[in-house]
Amino acid sequence: MNLKNDDLTKSINTVGDVFVKDARIKARNVNVFYAEKKAIDEVTIDIGNKEVISFIGPSGCGKSTFLRCFNRMNDTIDICRVEGSITLDEENIYDKNVDVVPLRARIGMVFQKPNPFPKSIFDNVAYGPRIHGLADNKSHLDNIVEMSLKRAGLWNEVNDRLISPGTGLSGGQQQRLCIARAIAVSPEVILMDEPCSALDPIATAKIEELIHELGNDYSIVIVTHSMQQAARVSKRTAYFHLGKLIEVGKTKDIFTRPQHNQTEAYISGKIG
Amino acid sequence: MSKIFLKPADATAIVKKSIKKRRAKDSRLKLYGRFAIGLATCFLLFLFYTIFEKGTPGFFQYYVTLDVNFDKERIDPKGDLSDNSLFSGDASKIVNEALFILIEPKGRKEKKEAKKIISSGKDVRIAKMVKQNPNLFGTITKVKFALDDDIDSFLRGYIKRETPENERRVNDNVIKFIDKLNAEGRISYDFSDYILSGSASGNPEMAGIKGAFVGSILTLFVCLLIAFPLGVATAIYLEEIAQKNKITEFIEVNINNLAAVPSVVFGIMGLAIFIGIFGMPRSIPLVGGMVLALMTLPTIIISSRAAIRAVPPSVRDAALGIGASKLQTIFHHVIPLAMPGMLTGTIIGMAQALGETAPLLMIGMVAFIVDVPNSVVDPGTVLPVQIFMWADFAERMFVQKTSAAIIVLLTFLISMNAFAIYLRKKLERRW
Repeated sequence: MNLKNDDLTKSINTVGDVFVKDARIKARNVNVFYAEKKAIDEVTIDIGNKEVISFIGPSGCGKSTFLRCFNRMNDTIDICRVEGSITLDEENIYDKNVDVVPLRARIGMVFQKPNPFPKSIFDNVAYGPRIHGLADNKSHLDNIVEMSLKRAGLWNEVNDRLISPGTGLSGGQQQRLCIARAIAVSPEVILMDEPCSALDPIATAKIEELIHELGNDYSIVIVTHSMQQAARVSKRTAYFHLGKLIEVGKTKDIFTRPQHNQTEAYISGKIG
Repeated sequence: MSKIFLKPADATAIVKKSIKKRRAKDSRLKLYGRFAIGLATCFLLFLFYTIFEKGTPGFFQYYVTLDVNFDKERIDPKGDLSDNSLFSGDASKIVNEALFILIEPKGRKEKKEAKKIISSGKDVRIAKMVKQNPNLFGTITKVKFALDDDIDSFLRGYIKRETPENERRVNDNVIKFIDKLNAEGRISYDFSDYILSGSASGNPEMAGIKGAFVGSILTLFVCLLIAFPLGVATAIYLEEIAQKNKITEFIEVNINNLAAVPSVVFGIMGLAIFIGIFGMPRSIPLVGGMVLALMTLPTIIISSRAAIRAVPPSVRDAALGIGASKLQTIFHHVIPLAMPGMLTGTIIGMAQALGETAPLLMIGMVAFIVDVPNSVVDPGTVLPVQIFMWADFAERMFVQKTSAAIIVLLTFLISMNAFAIYLRKKLERRW
């Protein structure tokens, strides 16, 4: 157990090193309640700069709930209540004065099921820059869309049909379109909630490759059911169980020599 | 084990035995369904057949053609074609003279009877003609005049020659005149000038539905203008913005209840509030539209909410996740996707409003109004009320006019629905 001095932190029941040196996001003693039910229990963790971290754990362990705390998507659920503090660059995102709109522009999100807007491919990517007023003019917007699609590895497949509907693409392409849409607003952190669970292995491989590349520019938090995926794309891994953060560590350490017996049980397929 | 599970062969035999019964049930259900649809179609066809069979004659009526001497001195004594001058003129007499030349009535009594053959709107017709074309003055021109409704009914065969004279609305003298006119080929059966362009009138041959038609359009316009934005806004608020708690639940239940409130209750409310408290005038389409808007609101709200709920949550997540504000999410994504459903609900509500009579009776839109309303604050009536009133009149000709008005109402309704379907198809992007 590694207890560094951090004024906010009371006690940490997590095995492994929850803190990193150049943290962008700091979650401290976060509790999430759905009405009376506690879904997340005293979770403390740092997300480093340009770090790819994966959250793993059995179904219902709260990893997606915790992920959705980072861009306050839980606000949309009436009965959901978040306690504790989460800071982005030392600013508490749950502060009363914080507006979720700019927050969500800084922390992009990719969802489990590809959810392109029922609009053209171009409009899908251009939507974010448009509502935030990021483009000075039409050609600037064109450039943003092109660069976003290129970074999402989709440009070569769709550059001749930007005006066709985004929902007409294949599942994997739709998910990359969603990634392009997320990076079009120049976020600092990208949250991915099981981005490959609805995709076939080939599309999954493409997305994983993409996550790997994007990791050079963004902090990425990815929730996944697949341990192989976590092993392939992330440098750090956090294991959740029943709303508690059980163990955090370097991915290769978690998978080769887990410290906590629950982690080991999950890794070896005994629970989950 | 062996007692609980049958041998596979035995199980197959049992399944096979029951399969015939099950298949028979399937085909019976299919048969019932076809029978029901067939019956419904028959009723519908029968309904349309009777309406069109009864209503089509309502669009036609009998005319007599006379050679009218357009004497300027007599028709337009002041010579300025003003209403005043034309009104003080002698047009009726000129028309009567033209008639008398043809049928040669003898004595005062016969002349008096002869005058009644032609509908009382003859002078207005002459005035209209000379206003449109002053070159008619000084000529002798053939002009068609509508026949009186009794004569019309006689020509249609509703009043029979065989009936004793004292029980007949058309006496022997008049029949003699009609026969004379008929022999000279002066009587014709043509598309009615009045049914589509006339307004309410005590003379059945001159009664038309224009006033009611315009009244209906104005009333619906007001109704749409109030109910659509209000209903959609309410639906959006309840679905997207309001927190789910006891108060919203209470509101929800009450809106659902309102949808089932008899429409006449809304009429009484309109009478009490709009006319009683706010002192608005009676019989005006504005009040009618407001009352109908109250009645339509629940329908629009309920269907709009269903449409909003049908928008996949993933679209909302996508928009919110990229940093769209609540308002942007609603206006950029939810409303466009829900619009077809909202429009469907609105059209259903409007169609309901179009056919509504009871609440409008309460606010006095049943008045006898000859003028076509020019604005929403002019007194008027609406099609179903007009139909209701005509159905109540004794004259035979109103029966046909009632059916004709029903045809117009149905046409209005169908074209409204067609427009709605077109609009929905246009908005409904199938990605």
